[in-house]
Amino acid sequence: MQDKRLKYLLVVPAVLVVFATAIWPLIDSLRLSFTVGRLTRPNFPQAYIGLENYNWAFFDEPAFWNSVTVTSIYTIVTVALTTLIALGLAMLLAPGGRLRSGVQTLLILPFAMSPALIGVSFRFMFNPEFGLFDAFFGLLFPPLADISWLSDPVLAFVVCVIADVWGWIPFLTLVLIGGLASIPRDTIEAAQVDGAGGWRVFKDVTLPQLMPVLAVVLILKAIFSLKTFDQVYMLTNGGPGTATQTLSHYIYFNGFKYGQIGYSASVAWLMVIPMLVLTYFYAKFVFRKD
Amino acid sequence: MARVSLTNITKRWGDFIGVDNQSLEINDKEFLVLLGPSGCGKTTTMRMIAGLEEPTAGEIRIGDRVVNDDLPKDRDVAMVFQNYGLYPHMTIFDNIAYPLKVRGTPKAEVAPRVEKAAAQVELTEFLHRKPKALSGGQRQRVALARAIVRTPKVFLMDEPLSNLDAKLRVTMRAELKHLSRQLQITTVYVTHDQIEAMTLADRVAVMKNGVIQQLGTPDEIYNDPANLFVAGFIGSPAMNLINGSVKDGMFVTTGGTSLVKVGISDRDAVVLGVRAEDVEIHQPGEGDIDLKVYAYENTGESVMLTVQFGQQRVIARGDRHLRMDMDDTVGLRLNPDHLYLFDPASENRIGNG
Repeated sequence: MQDKRLKYLLVVPAVLVVFATAIWPLIDSLRLSFTVGRLTRPNFPQAYIGLENYNWAFFDEPAFWNSVTVTSIYTIVTVALTTLIALGLAMLLAPGGRLRSGVQTLLILPFAMSPALIGVSFRFMFNPEFGLFDAFFGLLFPPLADISWLSDPVLAFVVCVIADVWGWIPFLTLVLIGGLASIPRDTIEAAQVDGAGGWRVFKDVTLPQLMPVLAVVLILKAIFSLKTFDQVYMLTNGGPGTATQTLSHYIYFNGFKYGQIGYSASVAWLMVIPMLVLTYFYAKFVFRKD
Repeated sequence: MARVSLTNITKRWGDFIGVDNQSLEINDKEFLVLLGPSGCGKTTTMRMIAGLEEPTAGEIRIGDRVVNDDLPKDRDVAMVFQNYGLYPHMTIFDNIAYPLKVRGTPKAEVAPRVEKAAAQVELTEFLHRKPKALSGGQRQRVALARAIVRTPKVFLMDEPLSNLDAKLRVTMRAELKHLSRQLQITTVYVTHDQIEAMTLADRVAVMKNGVIQQLGTPDEIYNDPANLFVAGFIGSPAMNLINGSVKDGMFVTTGGTSLVKVGISDRDAVVLGVRAEDVEIHQPGEGDIDLKVYAYENTGESVMLTVQFGQQRVIARGDRHLRMDMDDTVGLRLNPDHLYLFDPASENRIGNG
């Protein structure tokens, strides 16, 4: 067989798998999003209703907007915090940084933990009666003793953010250490000799050269923050009330708890839009030709 | 006034000694070359002057000021890096302007000074480009322009030509020499290339294992080497070194051949050094000794004759019109005015021919 035809034949299995596991569900969920699809009733999906589901989400569901707000704030806060802290740590741990040692290897451990497990363990640690953090905070700042973290809307959100940032910092730090290591050392030394102090070297020389990696980190983290589910599910289950209900959680609840598959699918498709935008930029940065 | 004084400088990493208790005075406006093989401590010495490396012990002065505790930015030096160290995200103009901008030079002054520096290294037409779009030689010029755009107290150049191809290196060497004569600024230049050292330097410091072996003018380094290392390191081809002894005022090789009259008293172990150009090629019977040609190489500007001499080989440089064949016999005579004698144990020079 000719190489020209063989090469297409060789990728066919992979394409089929991707189609069956990603593209087909995506298309079918789009179809479902235009229907009344209730899992609990026969003849699923029951009826075609056009854009009614989208209408409902936009104009008649405060809970949808609540989850949009929660997800947006959650994404902005976790992306900003994680990236900043990871950048700081990477600066300290990078070759020539001040803390270089075997610490780097330890870093990967939190990332190796499943988000659901992180959720469970943080729930235990913030337990007001026997939680580790509760005892710790109570000792350091007595006013914080015996606070029921997860039953306060704001504090529950804070705990979600802490758990997420804690889980993500290591991986992003490692990525940024790699980025920093690839910056030619002599550009930094040239700037030092040219007369730049620490901050100016960072701002004028390090940061611009780190930008491609930093952009990938920001986008990647934004994608993962947007679709946060398992951690929130295990930690607060969206509560108290709907204070920590992210979009994914909202979609899950409507779809599988209340059986509103059609409506869930429409909300999921609303989430696809920002995801596609981010993915586009991600691909652009990762596959950019230099 | 910018003398640079290093006093009892040591740099140690754990057990490894990079620079071992060295002192060096670099005069104002002097072009000093630190020369040596890789790992000899020459770059470390320069980086300590720049402030990029902290000495383990000792004192560094630039001008009248002890700069040990000054950051690189406060030492008023300019440095050219081996890999150029250009800022890849900035244009050539911004690269050259950076030392001015960062030191708060008034805006109106920046452009004319950048243009002047660019003109000095013939870069004017590339100012709007990024470093990526330039060739190696052009990038090196940018690095030079960035150094000369200010008037620093000291120029530091770390193997600036070693990444260029051989032809370009020769051109850039001449340009560097011309530029340094114009600028009249104290310069420390690191290289492992002895030709660069010989051609550029007012004085050369030859280093090995963190210790300065000899400090002198290129003339002194070449014609008056202090020890075996300097003798062998300087010159191309390397100086012929022949093992032997001195008996009755004559140098006798380990093989027992009595070769030339030398000016030291008898001793058992001696190394005789003679440069290829001081080995004269004669007809058989007309030199000190007749030997067979081991290899004959015509380089165009001269010919190189290698002869087998007991266990050793000796290289002689001959006139470019000389024609020979392998296995021909020649008479060699060592020029008695340019012989060097070394003690093989201490490696120090103990006398002349």
